[in-house]
Amino acid sequence: MNGSCFWVEGPRGIMEFPEHFDVIVVGGGHAGTEAALAAARRGARTLLLTHNLETLGQMSCNPAIGGIGKGQLVREIDAMGGAMALAADEAGIHFRVLNRRKGPAVRATRAQTDRQLYRRAIRSALEAQPGLSLFQQAVDDLVLKADRVVGVVTQTGIVFRAAAVVLTVGTFLGGRIHIGDARHRAGRAGDPPALALARRLRELPLRVGRLKTGTPPRIDGRSIDYAKLQSQPGDEPVPVFSVWGSAELHPPQVCCHITRTTARTHEIITAALDRSPLFSGAIEGVGPRYCPSIEDKVVRFAERDGHQIFVEPEGLDTHEVYPNGISTSLPFDVQYALVRSIPGFERAHITRPGYAIEYDYFDPRDLRPTLETRPLRGLLFAGQINGTTGYEEAAAQGLLAGVNAAALALDLEPWVPARAECYIGVLIDDLVTRGTDEPYRMFTSRAEHRLQLREDNADLRLAPLARRLGLLDDARWRRFERFREAIEQETARLRALRVDPRRVLPDAAEGAEPVCAYDLLRRPGVGYAELVRAGVGDAQTAPRVAEQLEIAARYAGYIERQQAEIRRLAGYEEIPIPEDFDYAQVSGLSNEVREKLQAIRPVSVGQARRIPGVTPAAVTLLAIHLRRRQAGSARPDVA
Amino acid sequence: MKCDTIAALATPPGRGGIGVLRISGPEVAKIATGVLGTLPPPRQAVVRAFRDADGHVLDTGLALYFQGPASFTGEDVLELHGHGGPVVLDLVLGRVLELGARAARPGEFTERAFLNGKLDLTQAEAVADLIDADSPQSARAAMRSLQGAFSQAVQALSERLTELRVYVEAALDFPEEEIDFLADSAVAARLDELDRALCAVQDQAREGVRLREGLQVVLCGPPNAGKSTLLNRLSGEALAITSPVPGTTRDVLRADLQLAGCAVRLLDTAGLRRSRDPVEREGVRRAEAAIADADVVVWLLDATCGEEAAVAPRVTPGAHLIRVWNKTDLAAPPREALRPEDLCLSAHTGAGVEALVEALRSRAVGNTPQTGVFLARRRHLDALERARRALVRARGALELGPELAAEELRLAQHALGEITGAVTTEDLLGRIFSSFCIGK
Repeated sequence: MNGSCFWVEGPRGIMEFPEHFDVIVVGGGHAGTEAALAAARRGARTLLLTHNLETLGQMSCNPAIGGIGKGQLVREIDAMGGAMALAADEAGIHFRVLNRRKGPAVRATRAQTDRQLYRRAIRSALEAQPGLSLFQQAVDDLVLKADRVVGVVTQTGIVFRAAAVVLTVGTFLGGRIHIGDARHRAGRAGDPPALALARRLRELPLRVGRLKTGTPPRIDGRSIDYAKLQSQPGDEPVPVFSVWGSAELHPPQVCCHITRTTARTHEIITAALDRSPLFSGAIEGVGPRYCPSIEDKVVRFAERDGHQIFVEPEGLDTHEVYPNGISTSLPFDVQYALVRSIPGFERAHITRPGYAIEYDYFDPRDLRPTLETRPLRGLLFAGQINGTTGYEEAAAQGLLAGVNAAALALDLEPWVPARAECYIGVLIDDLVTRGTDEPYRMFTSRAEHRLQLREDNADLRLAPLARRLGLLDDARWRRFERFREAIEQETARLRALRVDPRRVLPDAAEGAEPVCAYDLLRRPGVGYAELVRAGVGDAQTAPRVAEQLEIAARYAGYIERQQAEIRRLAGYEEIPIPEDFDYAQVSGLSNEVREKLQAIRPVSVGQARRIPGVTPAAVTLLAIHLRRRQAGSARPDVA
Repeated sequence: MKCDTIAALATPPGRGGIGVLRISGPEVAKIATGVLGTLPPPRQAVVRAFRDADGHVLDTGLALYFQGPASFTGEDVLELHGHGGPVVLDLVLGRVLELGARAARPGEFTERAFLNGKLDLTQAEAVADLIDADSPQSARAAMRSLQGAFSQAVQALSERLTELRVYVEAALDFPEEEIDFLADSAVAARLDELDRALCAVQDQAREGVRLREGLQVVLCGPPNAGKSTLLNRLSGEALAITSPVPGTTRDVLRADLQLAGCAVRLLDTAGLRRSRDPVEREGVRRAEAAIADADVVVWLLDATCGEEAAVAPRVTPGAHLIRVWNKTDLAAPPREALRPEDLCLSAHTGAGVEALVEALRSRAVGNTPQTGVFLARRRHLDALERARRALVRARGALELGPELAAEELRLAQHALGEITGAVTTEDLLGRIFSSFCIGK
């Protein structure tokens, strides 16, 4: 990295691609496609490079989008103009809202999708995006100029140049697949791994580790006895994922099914544990605790007599199903036997064996909160390369990396999402502040501002920001503004309206004082529908507007309290810590705290505060020290 | 950073005379009205009665109100100058917290002053040093206000709360995992249990730690070195014996004294020696615990025996050790063992005791920083109270929505975390994954 380019020394012929780009995205999965779309929406000339254009938007694992914590991410990506939610609407063949009875903050949409329809929807979104070009070729190398990435070199030696490069290489870096004691190098079943690129990246001053994930064997649905399975229909009316979408986008809907492992299944697994790469030590990567393989579940929870299996259809045009819950890397003969010990699967035909895959990831603590790597300017990472798992987590990072790659290339406003603003902010802050030692997945319990970060208000939280960043077109923005105005107007109208409480509450005392119509919404059992019935609400009010009024009333006190807490801490977020800050200057910091700060290099005192082990006293010292430095040129402004 | 109202003693506790309570933040006017009846005119010292919730007079003194930004911190500030001792001041502080203030962290007033542009850079530098110097001492003080059974009780409380949250959060994050405990009444029952346990700990905290502030002095040494005689002698030297109470154990005796206006707690421990007798070994273990917790350790040696039989006490860093040769009326200390800084006295005749009292007094004066045990304990009581209120609200919220109950439980844990150390989301998720078979 001494000013020369990596590729110059290579023996092969080099061809310079004649056009220069602003942003190059390497990888066409969920992170890569959102990154390319976002960069192009901001006006960056963008190139998406993938080893195979046929697998753009491929769902490598289970055929579902959303779920608890993840649905919130999808809605946020949607509010920022991203493609995931709309694609799920166009490909979703079974929709459910989880936690429907548990309150809006923890409610989340999940769509089972047709894999082909999903790929097609993503492909058409990419092709419809002005300023975005696609090219099929694996990337082997980066072009560096001093500490800056200025392009990439493909497998056949074509050099593409750009001001910023986003790597979204999923499980392809040094990928290795395990099925029993058979193992081979691969990026995903049927795809080659990125070995040359992995070697190059390992030369960079970035901390690298190995993670593991797995999939279950797939089954031919025609060999399943569905009569023995419990059926699980989707919700009626069918939920819609995107705020810009509608139920008309949905293809025909199908049913999902549930079955269980049996005592026999567990016997088969227990007897074969000595042949499991997970227990033999052949797999060194760390797998996710919340998505364990079936052999892991059987060993760790030996007292359970069965584990649920969700039988998820792979699509409308295929009989293949995805038995979610029996992810495994046991040898194929064991997979065959264990599948057939499950009710309904007695004669099941496996179409693809289950497998575990190990891959390289880079410690996300070496990233800035914009997802740019610290040592190399212009190089951004998004998705599984940062130690996360899940399509939604990948897409969220892709969106952010695309926004910030365009910012680097075109000198636009960068985006560093806050924890109080969106789940994307929680995700990024967790990654760059705490790092991760297992595949990171979103849960609502990770968000301390959970009551505010809901699916239903994702656009209210983010659309104005998206507009400012140039991510929302005029049509969507006008639609959003109408929605927001409708809420404001109806809120104002109800606040000004005094009504006899007995019109809404039959139990109210005779001759009770008139009350504010808006406050009636806070009474248990009173929703907007009750107001309409009493002639207080407006029957013309759109359901989404009525929903916002109800939720605002339900959460009012809680949200105020959280807002106060956010305001209290906001001052710390606004004190930046310079990149090259020398913590030794701050007298009074303990060595332990100093080491932590040096290792993570927080960008603000707010981020420093969230590093485990950094004490309140240390935060105060740091704040005072930095304020004083700042004051060298200007007076300290009021916090 | 200036959203809540903070309160603390602005003068070192325990020195007698006037004690100043300082309150800063947006709630000051409300608190002033609550304690004084009306808000005093700005920048004028007025004599007022400080009253509790029932209108009883707790103390009478000067009240000074500064309207922000023309105040020390730049916020609204109220100062209450009381005449009562530490106990009375503590009651007034309790009243102020009841009215909505929060016990301030060390250096928090100065921090606010700086952040609001009220201090210049040199002063800010001094603040940094102050916070730094304060932390270990106040941490030790906090530990002491929480020692033994009380600390264990809070820890157990936090543990039970975590367990409850594991159930609630798992039900919210994993609705398809056949672990929906919210559906049955077990959560409500656990919540009630937890609330009862918390109330019990609160009572214990209020009773058990009253008057625990002051310099902690431990007398130790080999058996028959004359520790008990010295304790009696020192008690006689003291200006006032406030509470000569036997300890919770039969082998550690304690006396609370006022030496020249400074609170001193004297603990007499079992003789330190290696022993096979289990009862005696337990006594030694407790003596060692007391030594580990002390500000000053007085190591009493028998001048008639020398130091061969003595086991040196293990003093924690930051605490002070004074070696004292007793029974010098019977024999001179062995010359080879005598160090220049050692004190010599006779507990029996009283000769030389004066020097020890002086040494303790000088330590005690140096040991009463702004944030002593007093404030540390107040912060703990405050945190317990906030945790309890959150639990009560959680119980009510259970009917309205589990996500609201979960939010209150999070706040309760956050409050307890100020005492026991934070329980992070990662801790919680780790517990969920090890308790339940999650994942499909």
